[in-house]
Amino acid sequence: MTVATTGTAGALLDVRDLTVSFRDDAGWVPMLSNVAFTVRPGEVVGIVGESGCGKSLTALSILNLLPKRGCRRTGHIMFGGRDLVALNEAGMRQVRGRQIGMVFQEPMSALDPVFTVGDQIAETVRTHFPVSAREAKERAVHALESVRIASPANCATMYPMSLSGGMRQRVMIAMALVCEPRLLIADEPTTALDVTIQAQIMELLLELGQRTGTALLFITHNLGLIAESCSRMLTMYAGQVVEDGAVEAILNRPLHPYTAGLLESLPGRRAPKSRLSSIPGRVPSSRDMPAGCRFQPRCTYAIAPCAAPQNLRAIDERQVRCIRADALALAGSGV
Amino acid sequence: MSDAPILSVEELEIAFPGRRRHQLIQAVDQVGFTVRQGETFGIIGESGSGKTTLGRALVCLMRPTKGRIRHFGADPFVLGAGALRRHRRGFQIIFQDPNAALDPRMTILASVQEPLNVARLGSRRERQRKAMAALDRVQLSPEMAGRYPHEISGGQKQRANIARALVLEPKLIVCDEVVAALDVSIQAEMLNLFADLQRDFSLTYVFISHDLRVVAHIADRVAVMYFGKLVELGPATALMTAPLHPYTKALLSAEPEPVPARLRNRERIVLQGEVPSALDPPSGCRFHTRCPLAAPICTAEEPAWRELAPGRFVACHFAETPPAPVR
Repeated sequence: MTVATTGTAGALLDVRDLTVSFRDDAGWVPMLSNVAFTVRPGEVVGIVGESGCGKSLTALSILNLLPKRGCRRTGHIMFGGRDLVALNEAGMRQVRGRQIGMVFQEPMSALDPVFTVGDQIAETVRTHFPVSAREAKERAVHALESVRIASPANCATMYPMSLSGGMRQRVMIAMALVCEPRLLIADEPTTALDVTIQAQIMELLLELGQRTGTALLFITHNLGLIAESCSRMLTMYAGQVVEDGAVEAILNRPLHPYTAGLLESLPGRRAPKSRLSSIPGRVPSSRDMPAGCRFQPRCTYAIAPCAAPQNLRAIDERQVRCIRADALALAGSGV
Repeated sequence: MSDAPILSVEELEIAFPGRRRHQLIQAVDQVGFTVRQGETFGIIGESGSGKTTLGRALVCLMRPTKGRIRHFGADPFVLGAGALRRHRRGFQIIFQDPNAALDPRMTILASVQEPLNVARLGSRRERQRKAMAALDRVQLSPEMAGRYPHEISGGQKQRANIARALVLEPKLIVCDEVVAALDVSIQAEMLNLFADLQRDFSLTYVFISHDLRVVAHIADRVAVMYFGKLVELGPATALMTAPLHPYTKALLSAEPEPVPARLRNRERIVLQGEVPSALDPPSGCRFHTRCPLAAPICTAEEPAWRELAPGRFVACHFAETPPAPVR
């Protein structure tokens, strides 16, 4: 299946037809189906969706951090003129950390508890650059300084366990940005943090990204964060991209009923104590995908033709996987 | 209904022993408020603010170091062990992690029935009937009753936990971050369910959360906690629209808004620094290390907790002066 894509020329990351399947007793089960999107140099793109829609799996697939067995990845991930799907593990190791950095939700599980923070950042530097141990150490301290850690030299000598959650996430960002990657994938980087700390970390991520020209692929379930930090967003549902467009346009008028449903169910949109609207039902299991539009069983706007599979199609500058997208006047959060 | 409030807290202090000898960690410090029957009282705070410790003490899972907690005017902590256990049936708590509260080896029905078994209420048949009724009330179908926790979703598990709290027919339920782990659309369903249950069983809630939007939606009155102390308390709408304490203001402005840029509140206060160490609390006002308004008096003197307008309490030296321009 081919899908319409906009602006693939000049894209830093161009994901086409990405399908990822896992094997279980019954055979291969697709978890991502024909995912397609692009990220331009320096662009900040957000991915939203409920748990189990394939947001994190998309990130892991780009980095090829998938299990070696029982997992199949097809399609193309064009990055800097190369197809990452065709790249072997040795080639991938050159890309990971150097060209594509990553920050995950739980910094404690990404940091090694038995090495100091400085050693871990220095190791990343020495993996990718032919520099002396001393030079690597210096760069590590400098990286810690750039994420506004008050006494970077001191912090470099500390172990992850003696740092707070916010500090650990700063260390993760320092480590991800020390090699000045062209793309940073941040998977729920602030979800485990308090809102005042979240504000600090987001400010930092965006500012550093801007300074180094690093593009950011930002995965979150928090639509507020997307609204405030991204220029473009993708909505994922049940392993597919269902909407792709400029954040402002989507907030003003979402084209896909699922995006509208997510916006609608947030408290704070309606009078206090009033009834909140919710999306009935659950994300379908990958073993048991609806044959047609995957959102159809939960969709209040579903009509007979929705029983047929839907393609991502272009409307203006946007893309949407909904047959009724032109006809529906869905309310955004701007009203 | 008696005249005494369902819950009142006076000068409450809870301290934990630190790692070293004679070292004390003051988790809750001089906290006081009352909760009226049938209302939803929200408590907002970040991690380490003492909100969970406070919540546990409210349902007698933790003994205060100083001060009083009263249920309908009476101190439950003077009760003997048996009487306290019986008393506690009326005051339930639901926790954030729906997994931690359910035994993985028990079916949902068995888990929901367990409190009745422990309380030895009714015959076996009656207990089962009550548990099934509670499951129905939280919209879990009878087929869910025979399942194990790993076979159901997070939202369904949280419903089971609510059913488990409901079977004992409590008067008050402390909800500690009950929707924090859920996706937005499930969260919306759950908040609607809480509202329905409150109406049907005339429940009183103490709703603890770090999510301002959730608390503002469900609560009648809101208290804001910082570092073991209340810094502000007031009606939910007033507190959200015209906060008095700089910390409340910072929290409100830090909450990202999912609206187009033209509708967004541009004034963002990004607090510098982190919550100070519990072993070494700052002098004076505990917020002064991060406060954009901090002046010398804030380091020297602790601000008094006072009622600025009817029902609006605050502890800040500058609450009376018109809002100074923020950095």
